Amino acid sequence: MRWNAFDTPVHDSQRVYRQLLSAMAEPGTFAEVDGAPVPPSDAAIGTACWATLLTLCDLDTRVWLAPELDAAGLGEALAFHTGALRAQCPADADFALVTPATLEGSAEREAPGFCEGSDTYPDRSTTLVVVLDRLNSDGPWALSGPGIPGVRRLDPGEGGEALMTRLAANRSRFPLGLDAILTCDGRLAAVPRSTRITRVEEVDACMSP
Amino acid sequence: MTASEPTASGYNFAYLDEQTKRMIRRGLLKAVAIPGYQVPFGGREMPMPYGWGTGGMQLTASVLGQDDVLKVIDQGADDTTNAVSIRAFFERVAGVTTTTATGEADVIQTRHRIPEQPLRQGQILVFQVPIPEPLRFIEPSEEETRLMHALEEYGVMHVKLYEDIARHGHIATTYAYPVKVDGRYVTDPSPIPKFDNPKLHMSEALMLFGAGREKRLYAIPPYTRVESLDFEDHPFEVQEWDAPCALCGARDTFLDEVITDDRGGRMFVCSDTDYCQSRTEEVA
Amino acid sequence: MYVAVKGGEQAIANAHRWLADRRRGERETPELGVAQVEQQLRLAVSRVMAEASLYDPELAALAIKQASGDMVEAVFLLRAYRTTLPRLAETLPLDTSAMRIERRISATYKDIPGGQVLGPTYDYTHRLLDFLQLANAEVEAPAAAEEPLADCPQVLELLDAEGVIEREEDDGAEPYDITRDPPDFPVDRATRLQMLARGDEGYLLALGYSTQRGYGRNHPFAGEIRLGTVEVEIAVDEHESPICIGEIEISECQMINQFGGSRETAPQFTRGYGLAFGHNERKTMAMALVDRALRAEELGETASGPAQQAEFVLAHADSVEAAGFVSHLKLPHYVDFQSELELLRRLRREHAQRAEAAGPKTRSDDSSVPVTGADTDACHTTPSDPVKEQQA
Repeated sequence: MRWNAFDTPVHDSQRVYRQLLSAMAEPGTFAEVDGAPVPPSDAAIGTACWATLLTLCDLDTRVWLAPELDAAGLGEALAFHTGALRAQCPADADFALVTPATLEGSAEREAPGFCEGSDTYPDRSTTLVVVLDRLNSDGPWALSGPGIPGVRRLDPGEGGEALMTRLAANRSRFPLGLDAILTCDGRLAAVPRSTRITRVEEVDACMSP
Repeated sequence: MTASEPTASGYNFAYLDEQTKRMIRRGLLKAVAIPGYQVPFGGREMPMPYGWGTGGMQLTASVLGQDDVLKVIDQGADDTTNAVSIRAFFERVAGVTTTTATGEADVIQTRHRIPEQPLRQGQILVFQVPIPEPLRFIEPSEEETRLMHALEEYGVMHVKLYEDIARHGHIATTYAYPVKVDGRYVTDPSPIPKFDNPKLHMSEALMLFGAGREKRLYAIPPYTRVESLDFEDHPFEVQEWDAPCALCGARDTFLDEVITDDRGGRMFVCSDTDYCQSRTEEVA
Repeated sequence: MYVAVKGGEQAIANAHRWLADRRRGERETPELGVAQVEQQLRLAVSRVMAEASLYDPELAALAIKQASGDMVEAVFLLRAYRTTLPRLAETLPLDTSAMRIERRISATYKDIPGGQVLGPTYDYTHRLLDFLQLANAEVEAPAAAEEPLADCPQVLELLDAEGVIEREEDDGAEPYDITRDPPDFPVDRATRLQMLARGDEGYLLALGYSTQRGYGRNHPFAGEIRLGTVEVEIAVDEHESPICIGEIEISECQMINQFGGSRETAPQFTRGYGLAFGHNERKTMAMALVDRALRAEELGETASGPAQQAEFVLAHADSVEAAGFVSHLKLPHYVDFQSELELLRRLRREHAQRAEAAGPKTRSDDSSVPVTGADTDACHTTPSDPVKEQQA
């Protein structure tokens, strides 16, 4: 098996979980996952993404993998190490592994429809685990709301527009929505559905007389 | 601080098995993403009675790491029997270091109080919750209250509070005073005195709530708007005391009344023993 | 000078030591062995296993010993242990028709195929204290039948063949698992039965009894009560047929209740069902009554009795939950009490002021509030309006 599990699963997964919890509680902050197994070189996902899956998935979770990310035997490795089931369709997924491009859809493929929960059970929704090529602050996206004193900025890299537009749409549907864990190599952040998202230019435009 | 004995043999680190922890961890992520919403979770029996903090303990067990420093309080105090018992439990099953100093703790499990010393970013406060549903005493059916939350139908809560005003001239709720989190969910802050409600608002620490018997968990992320329900003509108000704490002289803390004899003698002292003690030591 | 109480840790340790001493009792009396409990307090063991949802007679006996015979405490001990066990496999449904019968009776027919089998029952004992047992008298071996029991088909199956009782069929649905997921009201019958099976016997008995007295009456007949052992089987991938992993003792009660029926469907008897680990006859009968009562809505009956209110019945049936929450009142509530006390004093003060302002003092209990100034009323409330300040 070229995909490795945690060295000490109990403590390693606890440490990664606390980083995830903190990221979700304080959107727009970043954590570097260290001491986690590195995916094989031909994999389409990074350490933080793999560590997230190892930490959160088990027999009770259904995972949907975007076809472009299911490389180097990821699907088999995930089943082997966590026992997670593959979701038959995006709407069945507890976790969905995606890139910004996945969310956009294309001429050949419809944009996947994930589960946003129901009015009575908004928690029964898909959590996106997003694979990015860049993940920084100082981007064009301004985040505010719970977990954020004032405003934090986010740069989700290539295709960020599609991702952030999708997540910004959460606001009008709240409490329904998609929560996103963002990953780029060893780095992770999160944008829960409670976060208000605006493009900074728009904010500036609003504020000018 | 006390370093503890190694983990109890025969049980997983922090007692719960990893699958249960993952279930709770996933639930907590949703709870944080939907502030104030009660997430149902498959609460497990703990080796302590329901009603004695099993919800809080399951949350603590799910987030706690071997390098964390843990503080446990009940009624604000570190040395009340239930706090002692829960602290000893985690020393035994997780081998973690424990402390009574609020500032030194990474995770604080509490029953009925929020520490007086402001919490800082990165700390986690875990509340033990007996009845997580703020509407329960108005509407006993879970089916109904779930729908009321879905429809954001909170009029009954205001009616209940206003009936108090009509009858007593004041809102008669003094603890477990309902709050609205981030302008959406009406939430039970656990039976903390309403004195502590303002500390929920824009707290720097993450606040997690666990109700074991009722199998619900919920969260208030840091820097989140938390408003105590009130009326324009009857604004929310908190208790204040004329006399300072008889031990440390604090004037801005929640005070416990202590009966000192059988002739009506009484005094008021801080309910937060760590805060009181550190102030007493400073003065000395 | 006043000093805050310390030493909770030592006090708890001492309390535990004292408790152990009380549990042991006078040292001249031989210590109770777990095997003695398991063998000689069998019905207690059965109850603990049923309500703890764990079939393990030895550990149930240990729990009873450890709990000094407090059944609710023993159930809790075993339940808490159960939670820590890994789930290795799932068994196939038990076939109670294939039970090795020890006892089997029906109140609906005088004679039934296989016969009425009384088995080990207290039913016809005269409830006279047997003082001989004070002296540990010898006990005779039981009489054994020369012939093995004939087949004992389920009485309700016989009715089913005639079509006069509602048919119950396995719809193949995966049952909800109350031990892993929180109940999500309203819940289906399979979930209700799981919750009733671990419900407190006394509670179910009282609720079942209430239906007999008119609070949700459903005209029950004890169609069949059977006690005996059944095989527990699991399916294993490599094997075609299921593998038996052991036998357990269980009690089953099938109640026959008055009919439903409509213009479209012919009238039929309806069913109530009870099942429990071990020898638990009273529990299964009560469970069957309550199960039937909870089917009111499904059968188009008006739900008027407490036993017919599913959320009420089910949310309060578990003795571990109930005992925990009642006992938590023993925990300190200084803070909440202080908050209430402060408000009450203020309300009484205001009440007294109003009474005074209203005119000549009349005799009233409330006006005798000791309004003696700041010494006794050090605490008052000041409007500080923190929410609005913080929003600003």
